[in-house]
Amino acid sequence: MRQPGPARLPRVGKVTPLTTMLSPAAAAPDLPRPSRNRQIRQSVRERLAPYAYISPFFVLFLIFGLFPLLFTFYISLFDWDPIGEHRFVGLDNFSDLVHDPRFWGALRNTFSIWVLSTVPQLLLALGLAHMLNHARLRLATVFRMSVLVPYVTSVAATTIVFAQMFDRDYGMINWILGLLGFEHIDFTASLWGSHVMIATMIAWRWTGYNTLLYLASLQAVPRELFEAAAADGANGWKQFLHITIPSLRPIIAFTVVTSTIGGLQVFTEPLLANPVGGLTCGAARQCQTVTLYLYEQSFGQFHFGYGAAVGVALFLIVVAFAGLNYLLATRIRSERP
Amino acid sequence: MKRVRTTAAAIVATAALLLAGCQGSDGTSSSADTKTFDFWSFANINQKADVDVYTKAHPDVRVKLTEVGTTTETAQALTAALAGGKVPDLVLIQADDLPKFMQSPDNFVDLTTLGAGDIKGNYLDWVMAQSTTKDNKIVGVPTDVGGLAVAYRTDLFKAAGLPTDREAVAKLWPTWDDFINVGKTYVQKTGKPFVDNTPTSVFFQAVNQGSQRYYSADRKLDYDNDQVKAAFDVTLKAFTAGISAKQESFSSGWTAAMKKGDYAVVCSPSWMLSQMKTNAPETNGKWDIATIPGGSGNWGGSFLAIPKRAKNAKAAWNYISEMQSPKGQLAHFVSQGSLPTTPSVYTDPQLVGKTDPFFNNAPIGKIYTQSVVGIKPFYFGPKDGPIGTELLNTLTSVEQGKVDPANAWNTALTNVKNAVRE
Repeated sequence: MRQPGPARLPRVGKVTPLTTMLSPAAAAPDLPRPSRNRQIRQSVRERLAPYAYISPFFVLFLIFGLFPLLFTFYISLFDWDPIGEHRFVGLDNFSDLVHDPRFWGALRNTFSIWVLSTVPQLLLALGLAHMLNHARLRLATVFRMSVLVPYVTSVAATTIVFAQMFDRDYGMINWILGLLGFEHIDFTASLWGSHVMIATMIAWRWTGYNTLLYLASLQAVPRELFEAAAADGANGWKQFLHITIPSLRPIIAFTVVTSTIGGLQVFTEPLLANPVGGLTCGAARQCQTVTLYLYEQSFGQFHFGYGAAVGVALFLIVVAFAGLNYLLATRIRSERP
Repeated sequence: MKRVRTTAAAIVATAALLLAGCQGSDGTSSSADTKTFDFWSFANINQKADVDVYTKAHPDVRVKLTEVGTTTETAQALTAALAGGKVPDLVLIQADDLPKFMQSPDNFVDLTTLGAGDIKGNYLDWVMAQSTTKDNKIVGVPTDVGGLAVAYRTDLFKAAGLPTDREAVAKLWPTWDDFINVGKTYVQKTGKPFVDNTPTSVFFQAVNQGSQRYYSADRKLDYDNDQVKAAFDVTLKAFTAGISAKQESFSSGWTAAMKKGDYAVVCSPSWMLSQMKTNAPETNGKWDIATIPGGSGNWGGSFLAIPKRAKNAKAAWNYISEMQSPKGQLAHFVSQGSLPTTPSVYTDPQLVGKTDPFFNNAPIGKIYTQSVVGIKPFYFGPKDGPIGTELLNTLTSVEQGKVDPANAWNTALTNVKNAVRE
């Protein structure tokens, strides 16, 4: 957006450049020319203006994003009691972390819950999007809007309801299992049970959201493709396999990336899923995720240094996964159907 | 010029956002008047009733009461405040959270400077010891203790052919082994579980009845000792006897089973009584209270403290000294039911005569105060919280079938070791 103003003139001796003749100042020579200082000030202002416009985000990011991030790295080198002493311990927190079975357990839980929630969730979303895109679907808007209801429901409310449904003795799921003649399953107490329970909560919340993303991008696919395929005798499944999925590749890559980053940071569900489990999500830490472990260390036991070390480790893991995802996504995108 | 103006507007907007962001910490700067003070308490313990009594007696004083949340959340909020935020003038700290704060007593006003030295003799010495530093600074004044007793269902006991009178029931179980035997009889007769669970109802009671817990008398970490081991073993014994309903305390299943009468006994510290009333109102009158097996003990209680940076420490202290006087605690017990820490009122007719219709008119004041006199003080250390939690969690894992009782003690020690990071 460079404008030819008088302040930006190249100084080339006494030759009058063309731009001067065209500039407003030259066209009205009887007006007093702005002083040079003012011209410079004007120019500085013009250069700074765009930065000022975007500054709110960056200033806030510096304060609430970058600074805490760097400060976390700093704290992770200390034995840091928030209301007591701060003792420098170097990399001790990290060497403890490597030998801490609770951390590895939390990491295992996080990945297990992530896989259990993401895979069925995205598959289900794909199927739903395909069906919602069907030309002959009646009340399409009603269905399309209703898939988003779980997403706008409060996580806490969802979690509490689900936790009651999964209760060992008085929950609905076990009641049905009992009617069918099966033994009750103690979901919260067992490793897989609690993971399935939390994965269900996450999938319940995010399936509709991903469905809408897929649907939006499906609607950009020319309807003629489906019609032509139908005319050629392709059934719904074939259409899904050969039209829906290939045309959704970029958006599938996107949802995988976002649900990976989200999945590695799951916090509210395990915190509330087992209300008496406190910050460990159960007596054996069976569903404690990395973020919940971080929270337990930092705000449950006030080991800020150790908690920060967990945070740094999680940061590195997320970065590694984002990188991996990026590589995969670029490959998927380049493989055009 | 227009562009310059919008640039300025953008900068002003940013500044405004930043200011808004900072306001949380010191926004509500109250004036320096000595008649107003901020008070942080836990939720659900009706501290408001006390505040109302106080402001009625002193109409010129304004108490800004904030019910922060659970006991843990209150401690967390206090930590954040002490680390660099706006502190309250007065704060309630639960006994399990207190040791962490006792590590850095400089964050609090030494209450002896306000006159706590003169009144410390009013309180149970072993409670006062918890809030007194090595060099005799007093950080907190105790508001209540958690005496121990057993709540049992008279109707279910009757159906099982057991005595229902509270004196007779108490005679059934002078020791935890006797308690387990009564449980076995009950299970035999009824085919139903006896006690709600063993980790909370046995371990957390028994471990609080000893003369030492997780620290030695000279304040050294020492959780692998005979007394803790004995409490742990008797819990395992109770579990393997098959008397437990395996309902984790405070869970939704625990509440549901309480309503349905799916267990007959809950070891209930004094502060748990009100929870039982809220959780299972339909069992009104079906409960009674007997003394706990194993002798005197305490679980819980709270302290009032004044942060060092409090704006109005004097007003907060006036509140403490009036409301936590023996007379104040007695009045609070009569209206709210939490157990006084001032032994001088333990023989007061108001306390001795206090009965509770929900518990078949049991004399709760008399029964619970019996369990808190004659307690030998033991040291509460900063890692008491995590150690207790790990031991309890291991025992819960045993109940859930995830840990073999034979390996439980070793598993527990490993878990504790990880938690205290030694």
